[in-house]
Parts: sequence; structure tokens; C-alpha cells
Amino acid sequence: MNPKFVLYFAWYYGFYVIKRGPSYLLASLSLPLSLLFMVTIFTHGTLIAFAIAGGPIAIVAANSINGAADAAFFRIQIRIQDLYVATSLTSQDYMFALSMSYLVFSLPGIVLYAILGAYFKVFTLSSALPIIGILILLTLAISNLSFIIAGLLKHIRNVWGITAILSIIMTVLPPTFYPFYYLPRGVIYVLSVSPVTPAAVLFQGILFPKAVGMYSSVQLPMFVIFIVETLVLIFLGRRFIRWRE
Amino acid sequence: MIEIKGISKRYDRRLYALKGVNATLKERVTTVIGRNGAGKTTLIRILSTQLFPTSGTAEIEGLDILKDTKKVREVISSIPQESQLIGILSPLEQMQLYLMARGFSSSQAKRESEYALDELEMYEFRNAPSDTLSGGMKRKVFVAMALAAKSPVIFLDEPTTGLDPLSRIEVWSAIKRLSSKIILTTHYMEEAQELSNEVLVIDQGDIITHGTVKSLLSTFDGKMRAEKLEGEEFDIKIANVSIKYIDVNEVDEFVRKGYDIKRINLDDIFLSKGVMLES
Repeated sequence: MNPKFVLYFAWYYGFYVIKRGPSYLLASLSLPLSLLFMVTIFTHGTLIAFAIAGGPIAIVAANSINGAADAAFFRIQIRIQDLYVATSLTSQDYMFALSMSYLVFSLPGIVLYAILGAYFKVFTLSSALPIIGILILLTLAISNLSFIIAGLLKHIRNVWGITAILSIIMTVLPPTFYPFYYLPRGVIYVLSVSPVTPAAVLFQGILFPKAVGMYSSVQLPMFVIFIVETLVLIFLGRRFIRWRE
Repeated sequence: MIEIKGISKRYDRRLYALKGVNATLKERVTTVIGRNGAGKTTLIRILSTQLFPTSGTAEIEGLDILKDTKKVREVISSIPQESQLIGILSPLEQMQLYLMARGFSSSQAKRESEYALDELEMYEFRNAPSDTLSGGMKRKVFVAMALAAKSPVIFLDEPTTGLDPLSRIEVWSAIKRLSSKIILTTHYMEEAQELSNEVLVIDQGDIITHGTVKSLLSTFDGKMRAEKLEGEEFDIKIANVSIKYIDVNEVDEFVRKGYDIKRINLDDIFLSKGVMLES
């Protein structure tokens, strides 16, 4: 493990994209903020807390899945991955560094939602730790999924289209912006094929224990699914990264 | 020294990119030369531990690329073909990341990066986002990475492909400042002649010829190249160009016959082996 490289890469590639390319940051915030607006209008404000809670999940998931474009671009187009292969860096260092850069890039959005959440009394201090833990795991799970996608691609021409579709599917379909208990239980399990679903269910269980109430029995299976999916995706990500071909 | 021992690479069941290549690279600067698809990049990627060979192996400074991969990676730097900088990051940031990936401390990485950029007259651009740099400057940053890494062995895969003549000269000048053993690939003859003492010529996955520039050219001692469109006398004919190798004392005679007379250079090694390259 090369923590120095991971930290510097995460900071440089996360922070300087925000600083030198702010349009990317605005683009990453546009969908969750638009959905927050729509959910608030259509539910007359009754689901605003759920839409605020879902914001950080949507931001982290979308930014991490967009990592497929980065990973493919770095490997196929600009060959930065090859540059690092011939060093003492391991594939895990490289993947972890990229994943953490997406978390850094997501920070302004998370802070914005933290402020909104504090204002609308959605987030509390006591919920901060498990929420941060879920966001870190979600970043690892989705960014490893993006490495798998990138590893399967031979050309980069389709990668931006694929990530745009996946980004919408993964952030809008799962119960990110609406209560998970609106869905039949079977559908929740079907949707849990994406790690965003268990992450959202766990989020809602932590933030809205009263509202979730009688549906809380789904929490433990979702926790197990979330952990297993994250581990499987990390394992597969390492297999598909095509480090030394 | 680099010893290549029977390296083959097969990408699918039929296509061999390399066919049992054997060579010992002894000189400080070796150019692997061949046209596009000859197997140059495959060879460099295998030697620099980015790609597994189908069979065979190689030793770099006595270390086996398959058995001692970790140690090999400590003694080499490899600049891949068509590598580009991450546009949004500056040269200094990317050099620091590269050096930290090689195990440098952050302060050491910054110091060595600034020194190398200064050496290559790039210091004033160290903090500019890389997408604002010219093509030649971007390539020089990669050479600066190799310079700063101070690796005993450096692989440069087509370092000047796609650059304009001025940028190419700039990159050549940067490469000449490296004191390590260098293995570079190119399909430009003049580049091989300008930069290297040893040449390994590859075509269709095989070594066509290998030796020092001087020894390879010595086979043409006392000769000149005469060229003419649709000339009647020729040793080689490429498209409608007739090429004839003549003795120096035949020059006047062939000029009268309408031939253009040219000095022998590395192109002629290829031409004589039946391989046509870009020049």
C-alpha cells in the first residue's frame, strides 16, 4: 500500500477538478438538486427530507460511476495507467486513489446537502458517523463497478454514453429520493442489485427511524447485501482493471 | 545490460506480435525500430513489465522480468506510447504523483520534479494546467519524469510520434540529457541515427538485424544510393521508384542517367532488408 500516493492523487485529482473545472462540479450537482426541487413540488414538501437524504448518495454514486470514463480514458486513451504499472504502485493503490478522488470531488455536494439537512433537521451529529461510513463504502463499491466496466471496454467511444445511462439508472430508480417502503419488498431486493439501493435503505433507517418503523426488518438483509456487494465488486474490480495484461 | 531470451507474444490463436525474439542490448542508447505493427511496442511493454509474454523472458540488470517484477520496476521507468498528461493537472503535480508512485517522499518528489523541469527549461510552466501546453512540451514533461526518477533503465516508446519537427528536436534535446540506459522505439530513421548507438530492427515480430549504427552502416562503405522514378537499373523497386546502390566512382555516370544521388543512412538498412519505413 502506498498511502502517500493515494492521498496526493485523491487530493490532486479530486480537488483540482473542482478548482480548475467547476462546470464538472455543477454538472454533478444538477441532477440531485433538480430531483430535490421536483420531489418537493410534487409532494408539497412532504418528502423533502427523503430527497435531501438521497442527495449525497446520488452525488457519490454518480461521480463514482463516471469513474468508468476516467479509468477507460486513462488506460486506453492517455495511457496513464501503463505509466503507473511500471512502478512499484499496485493496482489496489491505483484503484483506491481514483476512488478516493471521486469522494473528494463529491465533498462540496455532500457539504451542501449537510447544510440543507441541518437546516431541515434531516441530519444530526449522531447520524454523521454511520452516514460517512456508508458513503465511503458506496464510493468503493461503485468505483470498483466502474473499473469492471472500464476493463471490459476495448474502445472509449461508448464509455460516456454507458456511464450517463448507468448514472441515471443507479441514482433515480433505487429509493434514493423517495421512501424505500413505497416499493414492494420483492422489488427492493431486485433493485438491490445496485449497491445504491441498500445504501439508500440504510440511510433512511438511520435518518428516519420512526417513519421506517415497521419496515425496519429489511435493514439487516440490506446491510449484509451492501457489505457482500462491496467486497465482491472490489474483488472483481481487481480482476478487471487489466493492470499487467 | 538487457538480455531478451526467446520472447514471443501471441494476441490470439494466430496472430504473433513477437516470434521468439533473442537479443542482448549492451549499448547505452538502443533504438528498436520498425514500422507500425512490427512488434516494437509489444516488446517494450513486455520488457517494462506491463505485458506478460506468451513465452520466453528477459533480464534487466540481471533481474528477471517475470520472477523479479517488483525489483525490475524499481530500476526502470517507462513512458508509454501515445501517453498524454491529465489535462486538468499541472506538470509539477503529475511529476510528483509519478515519483511518489515510485516511492519518493512528497518533499523529495517536489524537489526532484522542479529540478528536472528546470533542467528541461519547463520550470515556468510547472503550475500551468497541462491542457494549456503544446504537444512538444507535454512530451518533455514525460522525459522530465524519467529524468527525475533517476532510474538506471528508461524505456521511451515512440517519444516523438505526432510531433512537429521543432517539438521533435526539443524532445531529442531532452532525451540527450538522460544519463541512464535508454531503450527507445521509433519509426523515424533520423531519430534512431540522432539518438542511439545501437539499433534493433524488427519487422513482423522478428529481428531483421541488430548492431551498432556504425557496424550496420559499414556494410554500405564506399556506396551511395541512386534513385530515379521508373529507372531501368535498380537493386530495389518501391512503387515506381528505382533504387540502385552504386560505388562512389559511379556517381557521375548515374547523375548523367538522371538518378538522384543520396548519402547512405539507416533507411538503407531497411531498404536492403526489404522493409520500407517512414523517414
